[in-house]
Amino acid sequence: MDAVKALWDVAAPRLWQALITGWLLATLCFAFTHALPGDVALRVAAARIGDDRVTAEAADRIRQEEGLGLPVLDQYGAWMMRLVKGDLGRSLVSGKPVLAEIIDHGRYTLMLGTIGWLLSYLLALPIGFWAGWWPGGAVDRLSMGLAVVLASLPTFLVGIGLISAFALTLHWLPPAGFRTGAHMILPALTLALGLAAYSVRIVRNAVVEVRQAFYLTYARIRGHSATGAFRHHGIRNAAIPIVTFAALQFAYLVDGFVIVETLFNYPGLGDLLVRSLLARDVPVVVGAALLIGWTYAFINLAADLTCLKLDPRRSVRDAA
Amino acid sequence: MTAAANSAIAAKRPARTAAILACGLLVVAALAALSLDPLSQDLMNTLEPPSLAHPLGTDHLGRDVLARVVHAAPRSLGIALVCVTGAAGLGIALGLVAAYAGRLVDICIMRLCDLLLALPGILLALLLAGFLGGGIIPMLIGIKLALWPQFTRMSRSVALGVLNEPHVEAARLAGFPARTILLRHVLPPVLRQTMILASLGTGAAVMSISALGFLGLGLKPPTPEWGAMTSELIPYLADAPVQMAAPCIAIFLTVLTVSVLGEFVLSRRTRLPA
Repeated sequence: MDAVKALWDVAAPRLWQALITGWLLATLCFAFTHALPGDVALRVAAARIGDDRVTAEAADRIRQEEGLGLPVLDQYGAWMMRLVKGDLGRSLVSGKPVLAEIIDHGRYTLMLGTIGWLLSYLLALPIGFWAGWWPGGAVDRLSMGLAVVLASLPTFLVGIGLISAFALTLHWLPPAGFRTGAHMILPALTLALGLAAYSVRIVRNAVVEVRQAFYLTYARIRGHSATGAFRHHGIRNAAIPIVTFAALQFAYLVDGFVIVETLFNYPGLGDLLVRSLLARDVPVVVGAALLIGWTYAFINLAADLTCLKLDPRRSVRDAA
Repeated sequence: MTAAANSAIAAKRPARTAAILACGLLVVAALAALSLDPLSQDLMNTLEPPSLAHPLGTDHLGRDVLARVVHAAPRSLGIALVCVTGAAGLGIALGLVAAYAGRLVDICIMRLCDLLLALPGILLALLLAGFLGGGIIPMLIGIKLALWPQFTRMSRSVALGVLNEPHVEAARLAGFPARTILLRHVLPPVLRQTMILASLGTGAAVMSISALGFLGLGLKPPTPEWGAMTSELIPYLADAPVQMAAPCIAIFLTVLTVSVLGEFVLSRRTRLPA
């Protein structure tokens, strides 16, 4: 029971931190919608019935319906209440509830993101491990050079390169759209390459560092083999920076999927976000931004907790 | 330094030499091509392959691709530099304040940083560009907002370290005002450390600008912009590979050159910890 309590003592501040970030994010989104230039009601009307047919009466009606004439603090309270109930409003364009739209598109993004992320570690873990085991070797130099090149390429260029190579020249895979599993390969690979360009370096450095650590030398002195010593003492220690970084990469994943989905015509959250931005569909944009921000905060929290589990020393250090 | 020593260094640092050469080549080509018109359309000659009149061919509206690629360069780099200097100025100032001022100020500033870092960088730029309707200003604000927290974090942690050193302690005891201590003792090491962020940030900003352009939320057409050029040409990818490759290579070379040159300037002007 003490162990659980100790864990809770360390985890609670992080939980609070994530909650406060979530609340601030919601406030920021509210401020954003209201700080926009021009009349909110007029904008809503314009999005709903078209720019040229907006009248003062239509704007007034919307102001009544949406409670836009109320004092800002009342509107803020109402907004927070609705968020707590999970109501993100309705899309100005399609009229459907925002949450339903986001879940509808989010599934696809979740699938693409998960596959891309897994694929990136399928590439980065063995290559980074190899490079870190023999630093300065051919694999090390080649992979680091490639990583620098990939990191200097915007995501859409990687995607275009893959399309022209595998779809237009070799005709192995479909170039864009979403119907079959084969349609997933190129977008997922685009995401994965962008992610792996960074994570391969983290994996390599983690392995190099652990290999030089004194506890591994000591294990060798005690008679363990190099691989055995690493398996027993190295892996957990090498995993800590890798797990932390894997969470940070979610930020990159967002940059990635917005671009990748637009490029490949993939019906995910990024595609929804860009289309709503171009259509000025504020509720959908705010909803998507909130959800992405909250997911990010949650993933950071999960990574922190995983690190606590991997490295029990931390919970003692942090609690002190 | 003799030529032999120079070439010895060049042999040791192939990436750096290549970047500097590429940079020089780009400047020469750019100066030569600036006289071309990036906007004039020729609808009779669309998607022409490379020729003497159009060294990189023409795009779907018959515009000269070389001229467009070259004219986009100062815009992208200029916007990126403005973003980075702005973000560095704001970020470093806030980082120093956070390190020097009391606990409450520190917490407020760092919370704000956490919040902005909790939003993936491009999301901020996207939201601003989308809500304010594209163009330069929202893009500038968005990219700057995404960049400054990193400067704040780094300069705060460097400043906290420096503030504990004996010479700063001595300056404080000697009665120097906070402003003098910060400017004379804390700012120089902070600047040295954040230079690398500035160089990386410039590359990141160039990529963000092209990404926004690619999504149709960046500079307004028909302004030549690499990302927008790329997305315009995607439908013609199979017919116009050279036209497509040109802006792509321009982005790639710019980002690579910026980061390699940044590292080069850095290693010459400061002694980096090994």
